[in-house]
Parts: sequence; C-alpha cells; structure tokens
Amino acid sequence: MTDVAEGSATGVDQAQRAADTRGHVPGEASMWFFVIGDLLIFGVYFVGYMYFRGQNHQLFLASQARLNVDIGAINTVVLLTSSLFVALGTAAARAGNIAAGLRGFWIGLAFGAAFPLLKMFEWIPEITAGLTPGTNLFFMYYYVMTGMHLCHVALGLVILCFVIRNLKTSIPPKISFIETGATYWHMVDVLWLVLFALLYLMR
Amino acid sequence: MTSLIRNPLTIVWALLTTVTVASSLIAIDGGASHQINTTVTTVVLLIAAFKAHMVIRHFMEVRHAPVWLKATTSGWVLGLFALLLGFYFAAL
Repeated sequence: MTDVAEGSATGVDQAQRAADTRGHVPGEASMWFFVIGDLLIFGVYFVGYMYFRGQNHQLFLASQARLNVDIGAINTVVLLTSSLFVALGTAAARAGNIAAGLRGFWIGLAFGAAFPLLKMFEWIPEITAGLTPGTNLFFMYYYVMTGMHLCHVALGLVILCFVIRNLKTSIPPKISFIETGATYWHMVDVLWLVLFALLYLMR
Repeated sequence: MTSLIRNPLTIVWALLTTVTVASSLIAIDGGASHQINTTVTTVVLLIAAFKAHMVIRHFMEVRHAPVWLKATTSGWVLGLFALLLGFYFAAL
C-alpha cells in the first residue's frame, strides 16, 4: 500500500515536473504580446526621462521637491494590495472556488478604484498651484507618464469589471479570460512601481 | 483569515509593502535636501527592480510560465534598470 502511495506520488511529481518544464502561459498569449509591447514602450519613456534628467539635474531635483511623496507611497501600497487580491481571486477561481474568486476581484477593484481618486487629490492642488505640463520638462514628463498610466488604470478597472461579470455569469468561468484580465492589471502595478521610484524617490 | 495570512501571495505582498515603506523613508530622510544622492538613487532603483521582479514572478505567475516568457520579462527588468542606472551615473 505504501509502495502504491509512493509510486502514485512519484507519478504525480513527474507529471508536475513535466508540466513545470513546459510551463503555463497565464491568460491569452495575445495579451502577453500587448503587455510586453507596453512594457517596452514605457521603458523608452523611462530611459528618455533619465537621459533628460541627466541634462539638468537641478531642475528635476527642485521640481521633485514639489511632489506629494505621501500620496505616491499610499498609491503604491493601494495598487500592490489590489494586485494581491486579484492574484488571490485568480488562484481561487482556478481552484473552483467561485465565491472566493469573486471576493478577491471585488476587493481588488475597490482598491484599484481608490488609485484615481487619490491621484485627483494629488493633481488638483498641484495644478491650482500653477504646476502644469508647461511648467518645465520634469512636469511635462510627470503629467504625461502618470497620465498615460492613469489611462491604463482606467482600462484595467473596466477589465476587472468584465472579469467579475464572467465569474458571475459563466458556469464554469473562463479561467484563461480571468488570467488575461489579471495579467493586464498586474502590468499596471509594475509600471507604477517604476514610475514611483523615478518621479518621487530618486535623487 | 488564517489561510489568507499564511498564503505565499500574502507574504510576497507584505514584503513588497515593507520595502515600499523603506524606500520612501530612505528618499524622505536621505534625500531631504533634494541634492544629487547616488546612494539613495541606487537603493531606491534596486528596490523598484526587485518589486517589479516579484510582481511579475508571483502575482503574474511567470514563475510557472515557459522559459521564453521568464527570459523576456527578466530581460526587461534587468535591461531597463541597467540602462536607468547607466544613464544616471553617466550624466554625473
């Protein structure tokens, strides 16, 4: 009996190893094509920012001093928390626990929706203080990069709504669609992590 | 609730949140004078690279993905941050 159990376990291990070797692409491959393209495009913006920063360190440092680091840090934790619950929801849905999957995506959506609200609390005082994209090169990069990122957040929130609808209406839910939505949302998180370091933290 | 706390994804999140707070404090304290500070910049950029790597590997589930996807995403993180640090130090 023990031998059978061990043999079975070995068989499972071998199957697991074989699956690990092949690997599993989370979600649709077409979404990964888009995600990698988006990461490369933002990468060009990030490197461009660093290049122009090197041309005028003092301007960028003085402009950075006008930003609200507290809201930037809170928004980073907000997106990380949103990503956590989306990841938990994805794992739960894959395991067949639809209720836990829905709970994860609803909480992820709630945290995600907090990001644009906090961004408004950050932008409005800055704009009313006269800091606009026309102020200088730093603020041009600041508004363009965070603005483009905010558009990605808005699209991500819509996608999360579609995932929730899929979890509610499809029996069984389409796991590859859920993974695809989650992949996009995590990409939004990754881009913000780089933006936060470049715009708010580096000196 | 206990399963949520013990979940490996929650542990990854706790680590990411901790290093986010740490990097913010490093920038606020070490970079308070808003002058060029290579130590602060190197540390916050390396922490950002680590965070991006962790989100991609664990939340995006790339750790279970085929080699081409692991290589592409790791290549993006390594290439991007090498260029960012390279341009930063080249301009000093």
